[in-house]
Amino acid sequence: MIVLNLLRHLASRQGPFLALCSALFALFHFLICAAVSSANVGAALEALMHSLPPLLQNLVTTQFFGGLSERGLVAFGWNHPVSHAIGTAVAIVLAARAVAGEIESGAAELLFSQPLARGTYCGTHVLFALLSLGLLSLAGVVGTSLGQAAFDMPLFGAGALLTLALDFFLLQSAWYGIALAFSSYGHEGGRVAGIGFLLAVVSFFAQAIGRLWSAAAFVLPWTLHHYFSPQTILVENGSPWRLFLMLFAVTSAGIALAAWRFRRRDLP
Amino acid sequence: MTALEVAGLTKRYGTVRALHDVSFSVSAGEIFGYLGPNGAGKTTTLRILAGLAHPDTGTARLLGAPAGRAAVRERVGYLPGELRLYGSMTASAILERFARFRPHRPPVLRQLLLDVLGLSPADLARRIKLLSHGTKQKIGLVIAMQHDPDVLLLDEPTNGLDPLVQRAFRTVLQERAAAGRAVLLSSHILSEVEATCHRVAVLRAGEMLAVEAVEALRARIVRRLQLRARTALPNSLSNTPGVAKAEINGCDAVLWIQGDLNPVLRAVAQLDVERFVFAEPQLEDVFLGFFAGAGS
Repeated sequence: MIVLNLLRHLASRQGPFLALCSALFALFHFLICAAVSSANVGAALEALMHSLPPLLQNLVTTQFFGGLSERGLVAFGWNHPVSHAIGTAVAIVLAARAVAGEIESGAAELLFSQPLARGTYCGTHVLFALLSLGLLSLAGVVGTSLGQAAFDMPLFGAGALLTLALDFFLLQSAWYGIALAFSSYGHEGGRVAGIGFLLAVVSFFAQAIGRLWSAAAFVLPWTLHHYFSPQTILVENGSPWRLFLMLFAVTSAGIALAAWRFRRRDLP
Repeated sequence: MTALEVAGLTKRYGTVRALHDVSFSVSAGEIFGYLGPNGAGKTTTLRILAGLAHPDTGTARLLGAPAGRAAVRERVGYLPGELRLYGSMTASAILERFARFRPHRPPVLRQLLLDVLGLSPADLARRIKLLSHGTKQKIGLVIAMQHDPDVLLLDEPTNGLDPLVQRAFRTVLQERAAAGRAVLLSSHILSEVEATCHRVAVLRAGEMLAVEAVEALRARIVRRLQLRARTALPNSLSNTPGVAKAEINGCDAVLWIQGDLNPVLRAVAQLDVERFVFAEPQLEDVFLGFFAGAGS
């Protein structure tokens, strides 16, 4: 009953934000398919590649885009900064609002004086966030599937798309776990969100540089984005389990740290 | 039966000592005043009892169970000192939302409280951010009390309420106490504690100065009387029983009186008085009484 009450409250507070982000996310992936199919983006990029040194051409086409095929470009759409920005925004905003944001709003004192165990509160927030991120990931898959169907592109197949959605879900869950750990120490949701976004931006650019420049490749294992690889799943049909495992471990560690801290901290 | 008990409570925030070895208990049916100036540690004590903060040492128990346990809060009502609510929700939605946290304790007192506090259906239909400070405080009181809790923890409950509503609210508190509920009422307003409570704890800088019956507190209070007579006032006025201190300057005098007022009133009745001002005692007057007693 208490969990349902809390879930209902979260749905009413976060619902519009989540609906907007999911719609944008689906639309973005639909538009990626439209862009890839309507203009000859592959040829345009290939022409652009010719202006680069041969070593860089190889790096860009294989490491970053997963090849300049339609599949590779749609996969790149999932690694596009806009795609990451939407997913990470949902993950970090939900985490920042969970503890630090609640304290900042001032309502925490009254809320946590209710017969609501902190473990229950934390668990319900995690459940809500994971459901939200799952729905967001599925919205992206729906956008890609509709785009492929609408523009007569070769289909990836349900298995590949669901695996991709799972990888994206785990990446954003990992950001959620990290941000929730910060949130459980913080008093201001805005500051927690700022730190989370900064880490996500650094991680994204570090992995992009690491992929394009072999001398910087050593940073790759230290970036979360390295463990999200649409190319591996959609283009190379590689095994994603190592990626999943790492993202799951980061998510679990972040949530466990957050729960540990949250149970012990003074409120507000 | 003891409803609430704290023993040896100590709490520091960094280098600031919020509470030091505070102990007291409140019985069922008792309204217990927790009196002290701002920063004395009242809010910290209430937060520990509400399960929001953890003491460094000492214990806090409610209804026989540790205060931090969520299950015990089912039977507790808490009003924070700085109440803030979700601004975008309506008052009625907030009341309903908080009532749902206690599925086994329906909001049996809600209507009574709405009537006593003068909250209209129009108030309840408005968003919280559009309500005045006083109306928000009333909503906070309804949230704290609507489920008829066995223990009430109220931090400055009449803050922002007009005097008529304050009086009506005091009556409700007294009725709840008569029904066996325990009330811990924190305040820095002496008159409120005097008018409402059975016993009182006086706190200053995190330390408990005393726990005593309100009558004993009254006897301690040093009250200030300002006098102006048409003729010069006699210096013998300062020797009247109960006068702790006197400043007599011709026709004007200020008398600090502790304990029984009657000897002073009888002495004043002999005079040709032009002005007689008996100021409402303030919290400082209580502390003055303590230090006068201690010879400090």
